[in-house]
Formats: sequence, structure tokens, C-alpha cells
Amino acid sequence: MAHVGLFVPCYLAALRPADRQHATRVLEALGDTVVGIEGYCCGQPAFNSGFRDDARKVTREALRAAQPFSTVVVLSGSCTSMVQHYAPMLWDGPRSTAVQRIGERFFEFTQYVAGHSHLGDLGLRLAETIAYHDSCHNRRELQGTEVVVSLLESIEGLDLRRLQYEEECCGFGGTFNLKFPVVAGGMAGSKLADVRATGAPTLVSTDVSCLTHLERASGGEMPEALSIAELLARALPE
Amino acid sequence: MSDYNDRARADIAEANPARVITPIMRKLVADAGVMEGRARPEARQRAEAARAEAVERMAELHEQLKERLEARGIGYHRAATAGEATATVRRLLGDARRVAKSKSMVGEEVGLTHALRESGIDVLETDIGEYIVDIEGRGPSHITAPALHLNRGRIKEMLERGGTTLPDDDPTRLSRFVRDIVGDFFADCDAGITGANAVIASSGRIVAIENEGNVSLGASHPKKHIVITGLEKVVPDEAAALAVLEVLAANATAQPLTSFSNVFADPAAGQERHVVFVDNGRSGIAADPRYRDVLRCIRCGACMNGCPIYRTAGGLSYGSPYMGPIGAVLSPLIWPDGRYADLPFASSLCGRCTEACPVGIPLHRMLLDLRADAVEAGEAGTRPEKLGWKAWATMFAGRQRGRIASTVARLGAGRGLHAASGELRAGTARGEENAAAFVPVQSIEPESAPQELEALFRHRAAALGVLVVDTVEPMEGDRLVDATGGIANTGSVVLTGENSSRRSLLGAQRIVVRLNREHIVRYPTDAGGLLGDGEALILTGASRTADIEKQIVRGIHGPEDLVVELT
Repeated sequence: MAHVGLFVPCYLAALRPADRQHATRVLEALGDTVVGIEGYCCGQPAFNSGFRDDARKVTREALRAAQPFSTVVVLSGSCTSMVQHYAPMLWDGPRSTAVQRIGERFFEFTQYVAGHSHLGDLGLRLAETIAYHDSCHNRRELQGTEVVVSLLESIEGLDLRRLQYEEECCGFGGTFNLKFPVVAGGMAGSKLADVRATGAPTLVSTDVSCLTHLERASGGEMPEALSIAELLARALPE
Repeated sequence: MSDYNDRARADIAEANPARVITPIMRKLVADAGVMEGRARPEARQRAEAARAEAVERMAELHEQLKERLEARGIGYHRAATAGEATATVRRLLGDARRVAKSKSMVGEEVGLTHALRESGIDVLETDIGEYIVDIEGRGPSHITAPALHLNRGRIKEMLERGGTTLPDDDPTRLSRFVRDIVGDFFADCDAGITGANAVIASSGRIVAIENEGNVSLGASHPKKHIVITGLEKVVPDEAAALAVLEVLAANATAQPLTSFSNVFADPAAGQERHVVFVDNGRSGIAADPRYRDVLRCIRCGACMNGCPIYRTAGGLSYGSPYMGPIGAVLSPLIWPDGRYADLPFASSLCGRCTEACPVGIPLHRMLLDLRADAVEAGEAGTRPEKLGWKAWATMFAGRQRGRIASTVARLGAGRGLHAASGELRAGTARGEENAAAFVPVQSIEPESAPQELEALFRHRAAALGVLVVDTVEPMEGDRLVDATGGIANTGSVVLTGENSSRRSLLGAQRIVVRLNREHIVRYPTDAGGLLGDGEALILTGASRTADIEKQIVRGIHGPEDLVVELT
């Protein structure tokens, strides 16, 4: 029985508001009590764009909101990586160390679920075929690939298909895809071809930002895209 | 200010670089992974430590090196700026009129070929890829494979501009056509200019690797040999230089070592040799703790080989001599006038470059710092963008946070969706169409090689096409030399002094090397003691090129056949 803060990224609240409920259902099924941390942003968009003063103000508020929780579960690998690896760069000296310590309490949703002591009691089961998109921040910043894949493989009945070029970026990159749309599109096209080659009707990722980018890039002509929170919620017993 | 986006958009629409580059790079990266897996287990750590030491001790190593070079009769020169660099080379060339130049990234950086031609010198680019992009006139698109963006058909067209008609576009034919032009030029030239991969402070020797043999010729054939290289290339000793070589070729071209790892020392009788060290901003970079480590770079190209942005838009879009992730970091540091301020933004920050770098340069983190620098200097971020971030910060950090934030985010997401969708979808269509045309290519298979040194040597040498025998039947045109030793894991032989003379090796019909089986070491980093104290050559397979569509063509400047007689 843990008491966790569920950090709902700014874009997720806008793009997939139901994901908050999906994640809450999964966490509650694990026996946790969940309090939402909503309406905040980790600061990554401005940080990655070079606007550090603006990022600092926004990151500070998000950290402040997370302060009361000893465990913060984040519905994005990318935001988790921002808080853990990059937020400390916004401050110097002891403040930076303090920020780093707060960052250690943040867990990407899948990592948290996969490491939960009650995971075995969930009885996850789903007779579907899915392809898995490994977000770059989950893969390289959080080293989370194997954890996600193992969790997906543990779902009874699930046919998991890995992409042939799993390590290649989909082209989202935050403001990158707005600044360089043709290049970002080229990358998305390559990723979509790889997704289609799996033949799976559903694509799952820890990061809805990547999925939304692929949906935009494809003009909606792609397999159904699900966050891992939604997939796990579907896999819960009735 | 350069405009990466405009160039990338135009290149994707017209040349569609991904069609050529992506399949080649997918294969190269897979192969490089296998080759690195075969190298010494701690090869990366050794290379990183060697390069880190070179950067930390730069000033002190130069003092030591200057003395050692001068003791050998090699000129030590330093140039503070690009202009000084070209002027120094021009002065050292004296009355030389015909100059054979091999590939040098520093040469590209300072505009050497152009500057020398302006002063009336006849400069020939002798590397096959460089020769081709010199005709095209847009510069190299890759750090180790300059003509990577061109397919064989385009290359044939370019080579025919001189009036020759070529029967077909077979890479062997095209490569040999350029080889012959270059060979004729070498027969009658006054000076050779080469780069360097490392200059050794403790011994005053110069290490330059290559596959074709044009560096060997440029350094030994003409009366003058001028080396142009960056200030950061000085390493403490042979062990450090070998540690760099151990990761360089594996990452650059998925070779164990390049065909020729040249170690140049005292100039031959009647020959002059000079080294020109180019600063051009490097001292400043070394003084900034955020960027100092970029000077570790060994120019292997691993960061761009794996980079999805590089693969999609190609190398020319960067508009800089340095392309890909390393180019996006180096260009704004070397040219701090803002002209390359947009390059650090041309990255999705996927982190693959940092992961790929064999000497541990945190490239994507440097890109983040450079973005912040560009914003602070007013070189990036339009006024609407600045105001936008301000409003965004107020929204997420202010009292009205919450409902307002999510409403605005929803509106913003909706607007963004429309604003970029046309171009994004055009790019996507291109990407999907390209992917459909990619044919999977065969890569090097992982294997279990023998452990015992002689057996491993035989195994690796055979993979390079080297014939290993117990007795050689002599043939006319053989060049017979004794090796000081061999390197089992790379199938290499080490030649020193007169045995390493490039003139006689490259002019032979066949190279026959006698190797004492007792003198085989396991890894390149174990071979320091085999290099003697003068000229040396680590020969790893025959002369070759892969400058056209990465197809291997053997026997460029030098024989196709290499035979090792084990004694």
C-alpha cells in the first residue's frame, strides 16, 4: 500500500485526458492510493529550446507540487528523464543537488508498475497483438527498454512484436518536429513503415508524445496507438 | 545565419539523400557493432582515456612534441586562424606547383584547397571520394565517406564531365578510373599534403590511417610532405595512438584497422616534412569545461552514421565542413559568429550520437548547452518565440495555472497540428516511400573466433583476403619484406624502417611478408613494442576503397595481393 503522486504531463492532459483514469485504475489495482499532480509541466519544452530562464520557473513549480510525495509516478519517459537528468542543470550547487534528490523519487509509470511488489497479483491478460515503440528517452536516458518489454511479455495472451529498427527515433523531438517538419516527417515515415511491417493492429509506447507525432505524420492512417497505461488497464481482469 | 531547415527541405525534395544513405548506414552501424564486439573488451575506455589525456595535457604535450619533431628534422608550425593556416602551408610549399592532397577534415575547415588554388597552385584531391565531390563542388557530405550522398550513376556523370565516356557505372571501374588519374599526378608532383589521426609527443611520430594508399604516396613520393592537423591531435605516446586506432576503423568503416596505419618519422634524404597545427578556436574550446570534451573527437563518424536526422536530410544540409551531430556541436564553436547557430537545434535529442561515440563525448548534452548559448546571444529564437515561451512560463508557473493551462495546451496542440501538418506529411510520405525501396543487406555475422594467437591471426587475415602460408613460391614483381610482428585480432602485420618503404610496397605486383609466429600479439594496443622508433606501417589487408556506395574495391594504389609467410 503506497501513496503515490501521479504526474500527468501537460500535453497528456490536453491530448489523452483519459490516460489519467487508465493509470489510476492500474495503480489502484496494485493497492496504491493515487493523488493526481495535474496542470504542471516538467519544463522540457523550453529547456530543449534553449530558454532556460523560462524553463526554470516552470520546472520549479512542478517540483514544488511533487515535493509532498515520496513516490511520483510519471506518465511519460521523456518527462521523467527531464526531471531526473536535466532539471539539475537549471540550478547550481546545493540547489542542484536538492533537485537531483527530488528527481530520484520520480518513476516512469511502467518502471514503477514493473517493480511493484503486487504486480504478480494483477492477473494481466489480453488476447491482442501489439507492436512496441521504444521512446528514445525511455531507451537511452532511462535504460528502460528491457523493463517495458518484460512487463509486456508477462501479459498472458499478448502477442508482442518488436520493431526491426526499434532503436531509431520517430522524429518527434519536442519542438524539433515543428521547427524541421520535413525532416521529422521523413523519420516518422521510416518508423511507420517499420510499424506496419509487424502487421500488428495496435502500437503501444510509454510516451504518448511519440504516438501523437506518428498519428499526425500519418494523417491518422496508422494502427491504433495506445499508451502503455491504457493497454495495462485493458489487460486488468474485469 | 545558415538555414538548415531550408537546405534540408530542398535536399529531401530534390536529392532525397535518405534513399542512398539509410540502407548503407543501417548496415554499417550493425557491422561496426560486430567489429567493436571483436575488439579488446575495454577498447572504448582505453580510447576515451587516451583522448581525454590528450585534451587535458594539450599545452604540455605540444612543448614535448615540438622538441621531438625538430630533433627528427620535422618542422613544427602553429596557426592561430584558418587564414594563418592556409598562409603557412602556402609559405611552406615554396615554389611547389603541383600538390597532391589527401583527405583532411582540418583542410576542409580552413578551406585549404580553395586557398591554394587561388594562389595559383595546382591541387589535386587524391582520395577517390574527395576527387568526386571536388568535381561536384558542394563539399563532402560525410566525415569519412565524402561522396556518400551520390550514387554510382551520378558519379559516372560527374566523371564524364572531363570528356571521357565510361562504358558503365560499376564502382570498380569508376574507382580505378579516378585511381589512374591520381596515380599519374603522383608520378609528377612537387608536394604532398596529408592529415593526421594522432601525433605522438614522446617520439615525434605522425600517425595517419587510410585505405587507398594515397596518404602513403603523398607522404613519401614528393620532395615535400606537409601534415595539416588540429591542435588537439597530440597524444602522449604510442599506446595512446594505438588505443585510438583500435576503435577508429571499427566505428568508421567496420574494419578491424584500415589497410594502412602509417607511422611517419624522419624525412627521407632530400625530403622535407612539416606539421602545421591549426588552432582556429580550439584553445577557446579547451578552456570551456562545458565543451572541452568535444576535442576528444577522433573523426570516426559514428555519431552521424547512427543519426536519424543526418540519414534523412544528408550531410550537405548542415552547410558546414563538419556535419551530423559532431558538426552541430563543432560548427558553432569553431565559427562563433552565429552562422551555424541553428545547427544545434537540428536534432531530436534521441541520444544515439552520445551512445555511439567511442570516446565518450556527451554530444546531445552539448547540443542542449549550445541551444541555451544561442538564445542568450540572441542568435536563435524569433521575437514571437521569445514571447511565446514567456507566456508559457507564466501559464505554468503563475497563479492561474491549472484549468487555464490545460485549455491553452489543448488549443496550442490543435493549432500546432494544423500549422505543421502539410510539410510533416510530405516528409512522411517521402520516408515511407524510401523505406519501401530499401532492400535488406547482408551484414557481418558474429562468429566465434579461435583464441590461440596464430590461429586467430590466420582466421582474421583470411577474412581480409590475405593469404597465409607456410612457404611462398616467389613470383616476379614480389616485394618481400620481414615483419617485426603481427596482430592476431586484426590480421595485421607490422613493418618498420626500410621494410615499411611505401614506394617499394605500393609499386609491387604482390606483397610478401615474412612473419615469425612467435612475434604475434593479440590486440593493436599490444603492438607498441613492435613499432620501432622510426617509420612504421601496420598493414591490414590490401589497398582498397569503399568511396562509391560503400562497395569495396581492392587494389587501389598498391597490389591486391598480400601474402604472409609464417616462419
